[in-house]
Amino acid sequence: MATTTHPATGAARPTVTAPAAWHGSGLATQILVLAGRALRPVFLDAGRLFFSLLQPLVMLLLFSQVFKTVADTPMFPKGVSYIDYLVPAILFTTATTVATQAGVGMTNDMTNGVLARLKSMPVRPISVLVARSVADLARGALELTVMLVLAALIFGYDPAGGVLGSAAALLLALAVGWSLGWLFLAGATWLRGSQNVQTLGILVMMLLQFASSAFVPVKALPGYIQAVAKVNPLSYGINAARDLVLGRPPGTGLVVALLVSGAVAVVGSGLAVAGFSRR
Amino acid sequence: MERDAISEPMIDAVDVTRTFGRVTALDGVSLRVPRGSVLGLLGHNGAGKTTLVNVLTTMVPPTTGTARVAGFDVRRDGDQVRRRIGLTGQFASVDEDLTGEANLVLIARLLGAGRAQARQRAADLLAIFDLTDAARRAVKTYSGGMRRRLDLAASLVGRPEVIFLDEPTTGLDPVSRMAMWEIVQQLVADGMTVLLTTQYLDEADRLADTIIVLSHGKVVAAGTAAQLKAEVGQRSITARLRAAEDGPAAMAAVRRVGLTASHDEERRVLVIPVVGFADLATVVRALDEARVEPAELALTEPTLDDVYLALTDQTSAAA
Repeated sequence: MATTTHPATGAARPTVTAPAAWHGSGLATQILVLAGRALRPVFLDAGRLFFSLLQPLVMLLLFSQVFKTVADTPMFPKGVSYIDYLVPAILFTTATTVATQAGVGMTNDMTNGVLARLKSMPVRPISVLVARSVADLARGALELTVMLVLAALIFGYDPAGGVLGSAAALLLALAVGWSLGWLFLAGATWLRGSQNVQTLGILVMMLLQFASSAFVPVKALPGYIQAVAKVNPLSYGINAARDLVLGRPPGTGLVVALLVSGAVAVVGSGLAVAGFSRR
Repeated sequence: MERDAISEPMIDAVDVTRTFGRVTALDGVSLRVPRGSVLGLLGHNGAGKTTLVNVLTTMVPPTTGTARVAGFDVRRDGDQVRRRIGLTGQFASVDEDLTGEANLVLIARLLGAGRAQARQRAADLLAIFDLTDAARRAVKTYSGGMRRRLDLAASLVGRPEVIFLDEPTTGLDPVSRMAMWEIVQQLVADGMTVLLTTQYLDEADRLADTIIVLSHGKVVAAGTAAQLKAEVGQRSITARLRAAEDGPAAMAAVRRVGLTASHDEERRVLVIPVVGFADLATVVRALDEARVEPAELALTEPTLDDVYLALTDQTSAAA
């Protein structure tokens, strides 16, 4: 092993004597670069992209068939097709699924050592967290848009609120999902890379999705689930989104949904930063 | 100021203690590493090696005591320290889903390089670490040795002044280990200051200028490999005899000059514990006078393993 395999010329070798040419990056660059890094595998891995887009479509197909008869029950709003009723809910369940992915991504970074490297670099903790959050926001926007377009093309989704109503509902779903993402990020930083984050995420997600007005009117739910559904931020969001989609004035529901999301985001991001900096 | 910066040790820890709840991971550790030298940190799992690295790389603040790295306090000026260090952990901390090149570009960008600069730096490092052919492949397809080289390359992107290598060859095959050693030696030749933790004594013996042995969070020994061996281990002369009949005469001759010997009759080997080099001449003369001509005569140094076992035995006996 006397011969060196490295074509190490004096100039190319990393030298300490050379002063560091770079003096750290700004917050915006850090967020942009890290968010790009989090998104990259989503686009590079065709399989992953396909399946993440497939999931909301399968849900749409399943639920529109399984719960179709709900539209005939007296508790269901008159003159509304079930698909128009369902799509706003699928917007929110998809956004919630994306939110749990933020926690999973952070957990992976903690277990594979990427986070340890970032912590040993002049990178601000908030950049790492915001980047993850922004990346999932972008991914959510893509998935929800594709879902809406396909719902219109394949499932005959054609609500009274038109394109504008649907776009507004999409933005609202993104906002609510983004705020929930902070909770999952906080969970990941506090549970320190435990695989329990994923299990916990799925549990919380199912609770939020089903104990809400997502699939059937709250009135049709048993009393104790109604109690949960009435305080569930997702219910407010879904109700407001439904109003937007169906061309009805959303009223206070929209304000409540946005306020609750804001509060969740503030608490979640605070907890996430605290958990991130802990040790 | 300039002069101070040169004479100042690159790592200077004074009485560093770190506790996690009731567990004391570091108990009054002090150490100094001069610029351009390699400190080897030896110790069992749980001796406090990784905690010490975490304190010095600003990832964990010390409970008490102070530590300065590259002239900056790890607690007060963490960001300044982080700009001047590189860390290669026990587990390769590179992004599996990205290519080798993308990993290095990412780090360069975070350190403030422009896109073109970042790509140039990545290409340079990939060439140095013999990874150019694998540059565009996802890291998850890399072998263990390649991953470790990429990880080290990642630590060097920002041209750090001090590099921390936390068990850099754990789990590597012998060829990859040797390649890693060569790289580290090259870095040191370039003037890099290195702190290396390891469980392998041959690694510390080969790479480190100074060795510190940690046990239960305390420094139990410090010095060069030779000093540690001289301090703890026993040098001895081994003489392999030509014939078994020479045994009694050789034993008697050694005793006459005031030394002791043990005789392994089966292997026809005499082992004579000695203190210094001068004893070698004494033994040669004594054997010559007794007309015993050994087939082989050698002064054997204790290995670092002997030293390490002796030291850690002492501390567990004391505890």
